[in-house]
Amino acid sequence: MLNNLGYLSLVAALAIAAYGIVAPHLGVRSNNWNLVRSAQFGTVAVFVLVLVASAVLLRAFIVSDFSVAFVWENSSTDMPLFYKISAFWGGMDGSLLFWELVLAGFSAFVAYFYRRTNREIIPYTVATLNVIQVFLLFLLVTWANPLAVTAGAPTEGRGLNPLLQHPAMAAHPPLLYLGYIGFSVPFAFAMASLIRGRLDNAWVVTTRRWTLFAWYSLTVGQMLGGQWAYEELGWGGYWGWDPVENAALMPWLTGTAFLHSIMLQEKRNMMKVWNVTLIIITFSLSILGTFIVRSGVLNSVHAFAQSEIGPAFLIFIAIVLTIAFALMFRRLRLLEARHTTDTLLSKESTFLLNNLLFMGMAFTVFLGTVFPLVAEAVRGTKLSIQAPFFNAIIGPLGIALLALLGVCTLIAWRYSSAGYLLRNFRLPVLLGLATAGALAAFGIRHPGALIVFGVAGFTGAVLLIDFGRTVVVRGRQLQIPLWTALGSTIMRNQQRFGGMVIHLGAVMLFIGLAGNYFNVEHNITLRPNKPVETEGYTLVYKGMQTKQQRNATLRGAEIEAYRNGELVEVLFPARSFYPTQPDPLTEVAIHRTFRHDLYLALASENDNGASVTLRVLINPLVVWAWAAFPLFTLGTVMAMFHRPRRLAEPALARNLGLSGS
Amino acid sequence: MWGSWKFWLVMAAVGLMVALFTYGFTTDPKLVKSPLVNKPAPAFDVTRLGGGERLRLADLRGQTVVLNFWASWCAACRDEAHILEAAHKRFQREGTPARVIGIAVQDTPAKAMAFAKRFGKTYFLALDNERGDIGLNYGLYGVPETFFIDGEGIIRHKQIGPVTRKVIDEQVRALSAAPGAKP
Repeated sequence: MLNNLGYLSLVAALAIAAYGIVAPHLGVRSNNWNLVRSAQFGTVAVFVLVLVASAVLLRAFIVSDFSVAFVWENSSTDMPLFYKISAFWGGMDGSLLFWELVLAGFSAFVAYFYRRTNREIIPYTVATLNVIQVFLLFLLVTWANPLAVTAGAPTEGRGLNPLLQHPAMAAHPPLLYLGYIGFSVPFAFAMASLIRGRLDNAWVVTTRRWTLFAWYSLTVGQMLGGQWAYEELGWGGYWGWDPVENAALMPWLTGTAFLHSIMLQEKRNMMKVWNVTLIIITFSLSILGTFIVRSGVLNSVHAFAQSEIGPAFLIFIAIVLTIAFALMFRRLRLLEARHTTDTLLSKESTFLLNNLLFMGMAFTVFLGTVFPLVAEAVRGTKLSIQAPFFNAIIGPLGIALLALLGVCTLIAWRYSSAGYLLRNFRLPVLLGLATAGALAAFGIRHPGALIVFGVAGFTGAVLLIDFGRTVVVRGRQLQIPLWTALGSTIMRNQQRFGGMVIHLGAVMLFIGLAGNYFNVEHNITLRPNKPVETEGYTLVYKGMQTKQQRNATLRGAEIEAYRNGELVEVLFPARSFYPTQPDPLTEVAIHRTFRHDLYLALASENDNGASVTLRVLINPLVVWAWAAFPLFTLGTVMAMFHRPRRLAEPALARNLGLSGS
Repeated sequence: MWGSWKFWLVMAAVGLMVALFTYGFTTDPKLVKSPLVNKPAPAFDVTRLGGGERLRLADLRGQTVVLNFWASWCAACRDEAHILEAAHKRFQREGTPARVIGIAVQDTPAKAMAFAKRFGKTYFLALDNERGDIGLNYGLYGVPETFFIDGEGIIRHKQIGPVTRKVIDEQVRALSAAPGAKP
């Protein structure tokens, strides 16, 4: 009964969303603003209806109502409540409903809070958002119904895949979806601008925060995915260039380019064609990402969910790309820039290079991901593109990007003289070379690693010196102490400070990635109480233990790890057994320091614990990569607070409802 | 816009990508064709399950061989058990120059014999060794898999998953009609 109510809510939402596509167009055409407003109210109604359907599904999970097929497939009574809730997005249908719920929420927010600003383009924005919602709701109402009933009333469910019963895996899909959906808003605004022919910077300024929020969600979503892979899959790495991973990386690459490129549009009215192209591609890649993951069209170790809705996604992508690019080409003349890049040695050209590098990386990842399909179509052979291809190309491009980050921060707008360059870059370049030199002196000889560390030193120096100089100058000018100057500089330049912090996070991430050059792996067999030396640690196997942990049984080896004669940690590499699953999972044990991770995975228990074989890995600098996360968070929060105080076009400022232009 | 070559270039790129993914729906990414098709079948040397005669692949020259890999723990193998047995009986009755051979992988003699008894298998059954050498040589990905080998010892077809009567009849007819088959 309740489940039927949920389903009917979705049907009603579909009808209202479909109305919301047509009404705004009719309203503008016939100059009837009430029609447009009805569509805006419609988005709020759609959100409420989808919320009802979601609440119904959530309730079914919480009370373990296995008459709902989706609940039966993804939940079981023995699961902790936290995972019963996260099972909502543990499968195709539920995650589509989650996607629609968030999109409906964002659409309602946009329709309501921007109803007075952007009056010219808001009708078309609402219409575009409704187009996407109609697609999702149609799938939900037909092939991907999360509230479909099971035959019979089972008393126990299949349970959530134990691989997903990990906090990082519970948060990973929602965060990625927030990113994908977040990019829908700038996309809708861009489409509206193109339809209307109103191609000033209104859409860019309005959606800046959405873009930042979407970027942050995608970044954190992927970091959590990597962290989960590192701790749960047990192969010792956090990124495998699997098609599913690449599917999330591609929109992140173009989305990051977009995030930066719109700044150039805001400040100098340039790159409009780039920006429209980038948002179309980013949005399409986010749909394509879901398509690749869910349709099973590419071979992947992540192929957990394959359904018949693949063709529907492909058709939707084709339609979006065709119509969006057609609209862009129709307005091409209006988009072309008033200013052009003056010289090579300018901030403008570094932004252009930034776009090119990110697009290059995205294209490489795309090519590597779909190439197996191409090979099969053309030659009938099966091949698999693995890490070596991606690392060989993305690696150097990434290092170039890291260097560009430093260059762009310091270089001047429009033109930099040779003298200017020499003065400003001298110190950071020296610091970068000194970093590389010092590390080489300490025994690090790997050329790739030295380059990364050197460039990281250069870029880090640029970021800190540049900001530090601003603080010092301000302190001197206003004759206030440095601490106060620091605080006031931060508060007056939130976007710049936030950007610097995020970029510092990126530098840390690169340092962490460089650690992969030095990964070491051994297999060792241990007997009880007989110490074994490996990689500077002495490991002592004390015996096997069985522990009960909520809904899983752990069986693992107690290992004491000593360094320089002192006990540093007692580790428990184990296998976990879940009652609803036949095969055990690996639970690795990690001892983490600033220099490296000591990573132990249980390979086998021999003769009932008489000896135990471990895979021992030393992964240097992993914590540096994870350390980027708090920096990304802080920087994003700061940058979100930034309000554009002055705009070049007074009409634009009025249109956006900003006072004091 | 319609005259712009850039527009058409973008449309062509979109069309190409859509076409590629549409093609992707016609293939099964998990299905890997065997590189052994049209190559000589790897030799094996086994003893009959339950003791008895020895059999080498070379002994079967001149006959079409339906080489089936199975296991007692394999659920899908139950589906095809009666089909293979029926084929074996059919070949005997009609004098077709074809043999059905079954190799159990990662199995124990006791369990394999129990399975054979339960499903009434009377054709030649043997066990792969502990290392699974025969399975490895044939590039076995899982069970059941069936190889169709012609009279000259060349693999002509690999069936992944349970075999059907239609496939057996088609393959055996094609291979037995080929030159080199002895009655």
